[in-house]
Amino acid sequence: MLRQVLATEFLKLRRSKITWLSWLAFAILPLAGGLFMWIVREPERAARLGLLGQKAGLAGVTADWPSYFTMLIQEACVGGMVLLAIIAAYVFGREHSEGTAKNLLALPVSRHWFVVAKLAVILVWFGLLTVLLIGEGLLVGTLLGLPGFSMPLAVSSIGDILIAGLVGFLLIPVVAWIATLGRGYLAPIGFTLFMLVMGNVFGATGWGKWFPWSIVPMLAGIAGPRVEVLAPGSLAVVGLTFVLGVAATMWQWRHADNTQ
Amino acid sequence: MPTDTVIATHDLAKHYGDVRAVDGIDLDVRRGEIYGFLGRNGSGKTTTIRMLLGLIRPSSGDVTMLGTRIRPGEQKVLARVGSLVETATAYPNLTVRENLDIQRRLTRSPRGAVAEAIALLQLEEYADRRAGRLSLGNKQRLALARALLHRPDVLVLDEPANALDPAGIVEVRGLLRRLADERGVTVFMSSHILAEVAHLADRIGIVHAGKLIEELGTDELRTRSRAFVKVVVSSPDRAIALLDDRLGIRRVERTREGGLHLFDGLDRAAEIARVLVGDGLDLSRLCLVEEDLEAHFMRLTGGEA
Repeated sequence: MLRQVLATEFLKLRRSKITWLSWLAFAILPLAGGLFMWIVREPERAARLGLLGQKAGLAGVTADWPSYFTMLIQEACVGGMVLLAIIAAYVFGREHSEGTAKNLLALPVSRHWFVVAKLAVILVWFGLLTVLLIGEGLLVGTLLGLPGFSMPLAVSSIGDILIAGLVGFLLIPVVAWIATLGRGYLAPIGFTLFMLVMGNVFGATGWGKWFPWSIVPMLAGIAGPRVEVLAPGSLAVVGLTFVLGVAATMWQWRHADNTQ
Repeated sequence: MPTDTVIATHDLAKHYGDVRAVDGIDLDVRRGEIYGFLGRNGSGKTTTIRMLLGLIRPSSGDVTMLGTRIRPGEQKVLARVGSLVETATAYPNLTVRENLDIQRRLTRSPRGAVAEAIALLQLEEYADRRAGRLSLGNKQRLALARALLHRPDVLVLDEPANALDPAGIVEVRGLLRRLADERGVTVFMSSHILAEVAHLADRIGIVHAGKLIEELGTDELRTRSRAFVKVVVSSPDRAIALLDDRLGIRRVERTREGGLHLFDGLDRAAEIARVLVGDGLDLSRLCLVEEDLEAHFMRLTGGEA
């Protein structure tokens, strides 16, 4: 049955605006990073760009592959978390916003499969977006002719992007639960934005490694110095958040009254 | 529970705080029967339907469908149930055909079921149109097609004629009648429109304020009308005493407006007037009233007849 539920979940994305907007959003990120690199490499032309040129100069960034990869990691972390939340809000919240949850719940399908299939769709969707980000990043960096490329650097940076994406995904069941509880889009997106702020606050303190929403910003070096290897405690926190999020979402789907 | 019972509820109730949305409903719907669940808006129809389908958990009591106790998450029996709850909804970005294909896959129906459902609800012209661009009436047809697609033994339909034009209502009525007569499908349908239910249902349950206040066959409902003499008089207490004493009229009902309904002496209006006026009472109104079906329903549910 899971195969059928998965097929229907993918079918639901057909002609969906969110699908295309998410591709567009992630396609812009490497281009934005590439533009930044170009401005840094061309200071005279950058100066003619006014504030953007000044900011680029002030950032003290050098136009090379290590800087560009760092930028891509940061974009994948912050952009990824926001985008993941939007995708999760859409996949889970739409059933309530569009009033179709009652149709699904009255079907001869175990309600757990819907949760599993929706999470799988989010994982595949976001996985493809991350691959796009990496592929496009490599292309843009190559077209710009950035210096300092090495295979170990590329493998390590791509690994960091994938790990950040995976950690971000592991926090998504909680967002899915909020979307189910809040029966729509606003609550999960609001929750994620709030958690991102809290994540930066906690990340700047010694408690960051214990707070799930600090861990991705810490991996990106946004909240304090960059953490390149996750502490076992952080892994446990993220794992527990995932398990609790899945359990809460499944419970909500199975037991909560559907009054919409 | 009789062996041909398809839907049974026992003391079914749903409370939201102090609000008793459904308050102890007992139902017994038989195989092949079309059961009309009639009530005004907010009477508890949709809440009852949600409990029948396991969408919400009863505060007390229970639901049995096709011999299986229904609880949220009970899915096996739902393979034999088609439903339409409240408003017709569909995925707006998907076409009619794609929406039905989702239903087909999730009910493990054969591929031909989608085309069959489209034909049954006469949606051929709109099959490749996105659901978000359908008229309300066609959205309702799509919802009905979804409910029928897997050839269920039981249909639980909440206001199935919503948004349909008069011709559509007649078509759907004919379709449900055929399903009941030819395939033995049991139909439980709610409505707030008496005429719709009276035309179709074999049996009607009237629900009001969460309670099932009357249950009767349509023939009984059609013939159920009551006649009475309506009297508006200056002193109702004195009038009651006079009518009992002089004319032997004892079946009298007081109205909230201070009038009287006399259920005896329907052909004695002139005598009634003479007795009341002769005793010095001010008689401002005296007329014979014959309640029709609608008035009966309105009276039962506390509306103005």
